[in-house]
Amino acid sequence: MANVTGALIAKSLVLVAKKVEQNKDYLCELDGEVGDGDHGVSMTIGVRAVSRAAKDLPANCTPSEAFQSAADAFADEVGATIGPLYEAAFAAAAESVKGKQTLNEIGDWAIVYRSMANAIQVLGKAQLGDKTLLDAFFPAVDHIQALATKGGDLESALLSTAERALKAAKDTRNLVALKGRASRLGDRAKGHQDAGATSLAVVLKGFADGVKKG
Amino acid sequence: MKKLINDPFDMVEEMVEGYVAANDHIIKRVGKRSIARANSPIQGKVGIVVGGGSGHLPAFAGYVGKGMADGAAFGNVFASPPAKPVIEATLAVNGGAGVMYTYGNYQGDCINFDKAQDKCREMGIKVQTVVLNDDVLSAPKDQAHKRRGIGGLFLVWHVAGAKAEQMASLDEVVAVTNKANANTRTVGVGLTSCIVPANGKPTFSLADDEIEIGLGIHGEPGIKRVKIRPIDSVIDEIMDAILADLDYKGSDVALLVNGLGGTPAEELYVVYRRVKQICDANKINIKFKHVGNQVTALEMQGTSVSLLRLDSEMHDLIKNTTVDTCMYKKV
Repeated sequence: MANVTGALIAKSLVLVAKKVEQNKDYLCELDGEVGDGDHGVSMTIGVRAVSRAAKDLPANCTPSEAFQSAADAFADEVGATIGPLYEAAFAAAAESVKGKQTLNEIGDWAIVYRSMANAIQVLGKAQLGDKTLLDAFFPAVDHIQALATKGGDLESALLSTAERALKAAKDTRNLVALKGRASRLGDRAKGHQDAGATSLAVVLKGFADGVKKG
Repeated sequence: MKKLINDPFDMVEEMVEGYVAANDHIIKRVGKRSIARANSPIQGKVGIVVGGGSGHLPAFAGYVGKGMADGAAFGNVFASPPAKPVIEATLAVNGGAGVMYTYGNYQGDCINFDKAQDKCREMGIKVQTVVLNDDVLSAPKDQAHKRRGIGGLFLVWHVAGAKAEQMASLDEVVAVTNKANANTRTVGVGLTSCIVPANGKPTFSLADDEIEIGLGIHGEPGIKRVKIRPIDSVIDEIMDAILADLDYKGSDVALLVNGLGGTPAEELYVVYRRVKQICDANKINIKFKHVGNQVTALEMQGTSVSLLRLDSEMHDLIKNTTVDTCMYKKV
């Protein structure tokens, strides 16, 4: 089993970036149906900066430092709504595991994900069901929390958590948007999958694959 | 996609570099994505900082110069700037009388400008914000605070910039900007989509014979798609929506027939002709008129019509102020 050090999280962030960029066109397409069509672009600009920063981290960095570098990258390069949201999320992740050298327990990741989702909610002021990335994130957080209580293998826990997020992202089709640009559409947004929820699922999959690769 | 660009992800960076060089008699660069008037800070003058996503020129950076804005922050295409360039612009234009932020009502802009505002206040700078929401069809009247800011900002910033140029206090500049915003309404119509460079594909698609009423300046969907028809009847519908939302009858107004970037000037004058007829029929006195591209959406075809209902204060402010900005001049 992988030893999840700061260096491995840095490597995982690079993988997250790669996966998000691979999905750029798909995310733009989803966003273009109801928003302004740039979600894949904003995320790509952000994760490119994240990737650059992660590669610059020292080999002995802590998990907290790795997450903080991602927060700083989003803060300086992205703007939009998604920039501050991911900045806040990664900063909260960094804060939540301060002092830890490794994140080898499912419970560690439950804390990281919950801190991230809470920070996004505080800043974005969205509720569950508003058709935002939280509609993918909170079900995933509940899922990993349950696994942490039950115990088990970290790699498969992270993978099934990412799958839970993806399923929840697909379920946003049934929701009416109450936040962001799409909120002005009312029922016209129904039937469309939320781009932010989808990219969040991609991010979680990146972490799962990164930890699995070791 | 055919555009005059290199790597799409370098476009904003390269645009800012060219923009600053081309306007170096009016502005200076104060950060990677921030500019200020060349002679700023001006002691005792309220600094006005504007900004938003790129893709809307002349809005927003085009209005930095004498008589309108003092500084601006550039975001990526259709994306709010982060707080950092807003802070850089704030520090550059603060002449001791305080700084006013003014921008269109979008979640990203609100979050990033608010963050900059918090940071600058912590540094002891007086900062106030006026968020603009002139787009009538983006939310019903009882939820007007949710409306987007679009073409009307050009008229509102005229008033705001003029007041600041008279060395009014921060509270006074904020008050008159709020008044101008409260008296401004805009409705737009889009004929085609636009291509965000780093996306490479049109944001959405409209059939060849369709137009969309209420379309936003980032290609956000409007309220309805209708078949293309003679423009007079479309303008009638736009003006009906504006006049139903605010009582302009018998008033003096400043008026903008705005192009969205891809519409020829000739067509905008056809639009203006009809707008003028409707104003005449409603005894609306057009005191200041503007026809042209001001608040654009890349190469989108379409137009928006904005009316600002003037009182004597706002009228005189516009009338008596010379404007000499990067992309707009008025003697």
